[in-house]
Amino acid sequence: MQVIDPSIALEGTTPIEEERVRPVTRRTGADRAFRLTTFGAGTLTLVLMGVIGLFLLVRSWSAISAAGLSFFTTSAWQPDGGAFGIAAVLLGTFLIAFVALGFAVPLAAGGALFITDYAPSKIKTPLVWLVDLLAAVPSLIYGLWGRAYLQPKIIPISEWISTHLGFIPFLKAKPGAGFAASTFIAGVVVALMVLPICTAVMREVFSQAPAGEKEGALALGGTRWGVVRDVVLPFGRGGMVGASMLGLGRALGETIAVTLIISPTFDITRLTHPLETGGNSIASLIALRFSESSSFGISALMAAGLALFVITLLVNAVASLVVSRSRSGASTEI
Amino acid sequence: MTTIEHEVLDLNNPAPELPPSSSLTARGVSAWFGDHKVLERVNLDMPAGEVTALIGPSGCGKSTFLRILNRMHELVPSATLSGTIALDGDDIYRGDIPVTEMRRRIGMVFQKPNPFPAMTVSENVIAGLKLSGVKATKSDRRDLVESCLQRAGLWNEVKNRLGAAGGALSGGQQQRLCIARALAVKPSVLLMDEPCSALDPTSTRRIEETIAEIAHEVTIVIVTHNMQQAHRVSNTAAFFLAGEGEPGHIVESGDTETLFTNPADPRTLDYVNGRFG
Amino acid sequence: MPNLTTPDIATTNIEMTAVPDLIETEQRIGLRSIDPTAVFAVVGAAFGAMAFVWLLFTQFTAAGTNIGMFVVWYLVFITMIWVIGREQYDPVRARDLVARVVFWSAGLIIVVPMIAIATYTIAKGVTALTPNFFFQDQSRVGPLSPARVGGASQAIVGTLEQVAIAAIISVPLGILVAIYLNEVGGRLARVVRTIVDAMSAIPSIVAGLFIFASFILAFGGQLSGFAAGLALAVLMLPTVTRTTEVVLRLVPGGLREAGLALGATEWSTTRHVVLPTARSGIVTAVILGVARVIGETAPLLLTTLGAVSMNWSPFEGKQSALPLYVYRLFQLPQEVAIQRAWTGALVLLILVFVLFVTARIIGGRGPGHISRFRRARLAREGLA
Ligand SMILES: Nc1ncnc2c1ncn2[C@@H]1O[C@H](COP(=O)(O)OP(=O)(O)O)[C@@H](O)[C@H]1O
Ligand SMILES: [Mg+2]
Repeated sequence: MQVIDPSIALEGTTPIEEERVRPVTRRTGADRAFRLTTFGAGTLTLVLMGVIGLFLLVRSWSAISAAGLSFFTTSAWQPDGGAFGIAAVLLGTFLIAFVALGFAVPLAAGGALFITDYAPSKIKTPLVWLVDLLAAVPSLIYGLWGRAYLQPKIIPISEWISTHLGFIPFLKAKPGAGFAASTFIAGVVVALMVLPICTAVMREVFSQAPAGEKEGALALGGTRWGVVRDVVLPFGRGGMVGASMLGLGRALGETIAVTLIISPTFDITRLTHPLETGGNSIASLIALRFSESSSFGISALMAAGLALFVITLLVNAVASLVVSRSRSGASTEI
Repeated sequence: MTTIEHEVLDLNNPAPELPPSSSLTARGVSAWFGDHKVLERVNLDMPAGEVTALIGPSGCGKSTFLRILNRMHELVPSATLSGTIALDGDDIYRGDIPVTEMRRRIGMVFQKPNPFPAMTVSENVIAGLKLSGVKATKSDRRDLVESCLQRAGLWNEVKNRLGAAGGALSGGQQQRLCIARALAVKPSVLLMDEPCSALDPTSTRRIEETIAEIAHEVTIVIVTHNMQQAHRVSNTAAFFLAGEGEPGHIVESGDTETLFTNPADPRTLDYVNGRFG
Repeated sequence: MPNLTTPDIATTNIEMTAVPDLIETEQRIGLRSIDPTAVFAVVGAAFGAMAFVWLLFTQFTAAGTNIGMFVVWYLVFITMIWVIGREQYDPVRARDLVARVVFWSAGLIIVVPMIAIATYTIAKGVTALTPNFFFQDQSRVGPLSPARVGGASQAIVGTLEQVAIAAIISVPLGILVAIYLNEVGGRLARVVRTIVDAMSAIPSIVAGLFIFASFILAFGGQLSGFAAGLALAVLMLPTVTRTTEVVLRLVPGGLREAGLALGATEWSTTRHVVLPTARSGIVTAVILGVARVIGETAPLLLTTLGAVSMNWSPFEGKQSALPLYVYRLFQLPQEVAIQRAWTGALVLLILVFVLFVTARIIGGRGPGHISRFRRARLAREGLA
């Protein structure tokens, strides 16, 4: 029987020095090509992203250098006749997005909690499907439906709010201004569009709330609402913020639904009264003006597009950061 | 698609220059994950055509050692090692044989049965051919499927279900399918890492019978937590142990019967009698 | 109506009987039984709120709107549930009851838009949905032709070609990137993943601007279906990549190890083990990518403008597309044009729905799904 003392290796090799190596995996030619190809594909996406920014910057340069800082302070858009800037459209973009989030975030949170914690198991899967399907419905169809069906239904509400809640200054519509084609209506339609994506992300987050803690709270005699309030919501807070930011990114960049609904205005006072007719957004500015623009006008639109590109990237980056920092985010995909 | 010419898989020419099974020798093998040393200078002879059992408590480095034997260790990015592993006298880490060729010669069966779920039973058996781009005629493939399933003791159970998905078999059948799959590339050594730990006693018995049947044609190294199993199936055994916060090492190795009945080290006696670990 | 209460086993009086003959008559305790008090609270509150709304809108204020009335009704309804709950139980359970009703309402509200959009689009679009919608273009259509004359064949062909171009570019690229992220990895992988995430946030109009700035202005390409396809590819790439990456991550690591342990190369393991195991998920990723871009309108406005007559070639001249067709006709003053637009929208909606359901059916298949075609081939070889 052979008893081996680990400190004494066989064949008289000195036990002190060990030659520690990382084995060299010699790859076959096919594997080197495989690694190189996929690496190339990965790099290509990086390059593509850079190239998008670069091309927009190059093409917008003539407009940016002509306008200078006034590009951010001017609200009119007359690239060929003098002043142009994104002050009004940027404001309009954010207003529509905020109206949208104001409706979409609470609804999405409620819907997501319904799916994870309240719905009978039989209707859970169909609901998840439905939410995903809603996310796949083209924005064009939301726009059509919003203008033809929803708008006439919302106008009386706008009227009602303006009359009864008009003591809040920005809710008061100017007499005779009209309520159609407003920031508010566009916001409601965009809310319905971002609702599914927000719901889907929040559902994902809530569904990962620790089952042990939930059962623990129930075992202590807590009600279902108690569980949601004390376990699920605190757990999902970061994910909810992330989902809202994601929705914000979508809402800021939405083009066709907004274009179909608003009647464009560059007047800041009208923009700041969201119930009144008239709204605007960067994306719909581009969509509406593109085909009738001179080459300088196109350069100006490129500059507006660049601004939108940068803003959505920033919003998305913050969203990813918030989600990944939160407790629920570690394993969540957004 | 890669086509690697090597004689081992040439079905028409069953590699007469290679012995039916090979010996493996480990000398001074240490292993690290990052800076965490998990194996300390392991020396072990795994003789050709015999079954070597590796026993020892969990976490003492048996799987790591086994994965070093067919160069799976290096798949972990932080993994390093030292020492030599010789297959019939040739160091598998320093020779000029590519790692894919090495792994083909030293097959492996894992703890959890893992047939390829997208392949049928028969496709699973000949997966090794497909994966290394080896062409074979229809009848050769059919013969290979039958002979490997026969040797793995599975043929009678699945001969009417060759077109079923690999995942549709029971756990024990899946594990024997994995053995058949490993045998189909004609390895000279077969490594088995706790092949029965996920199986019920009946399936375990079938696997043990399979091991006994193929032992004369292929060298087997098996990790097991089942002392009776180690005793039943192996000729040689090695007892691994890791102290608190220390890397694992071999306490004692040698003839199975001696190790189980009359070990030199008291810790071995305690372990094989279930007094710790 | 949902069961509105938590099961209250403590109050259930269980009679202990040890008589074996009585076993057949054992009664199961209804764990999800409906608490009559809660039902009473909800139903009562609903009617009470209705009465309140009727009073408010008919007696005190002159005008009312449907939605406005509904909003007021709902607020009163919730308040009344809370009040009744407090009376019948205690504040804690009252809040729980309110929360239940609120969350059920949120669940309902999520369902409503889909039903509303689908029924409205079907109602508006079905009148002009005739065979010639698929086989004729708009070249013979005058401003006064009825809606059933002419069709959108040029738009359907354009959309199919443009989406195909987008898929041909972004599907292989997206799958390769996903393989890079999940199978190969490396220091750059995290950066690539972040960038792909960021890419999915690019507004579609910006994708159109980019293709206009690069393909058309810088490289002298023309406004065409191909340019549109390029823009759609930019939008499709992140969807395909991210979905594929998720399904690749679901492939157990043990299968890769099993492949490598058989002596396979990494490429061969990916090709023959990983990808086939994830096949249904990858198909789903592709279909979802297509569904994502098939209705995109904004980028097309900048890349292929649209056309009234058939243009088979995506490489030369402007091409129509279904979303463009809908968008343009919807803004015309004529009633028939708007009717045609709705028909186009209906066809788009159906396409998205069919794609989506197909994706789910295929995605629901496990890796062990062996097609009839493959089974037949294996049988021919004597392997099945
Ligand atoms: N991939 C890995 N990365 C880091 N440490 C590992 C890895 N695999 C195993 N280890 C460590 O190596 C030691 C030996 O593990 P293992 O070889 O699996 O033991 P055994 O198979 O005997 O139970 C353990 O302490 C384990 O934590
Ligand atoms: Mg182990």
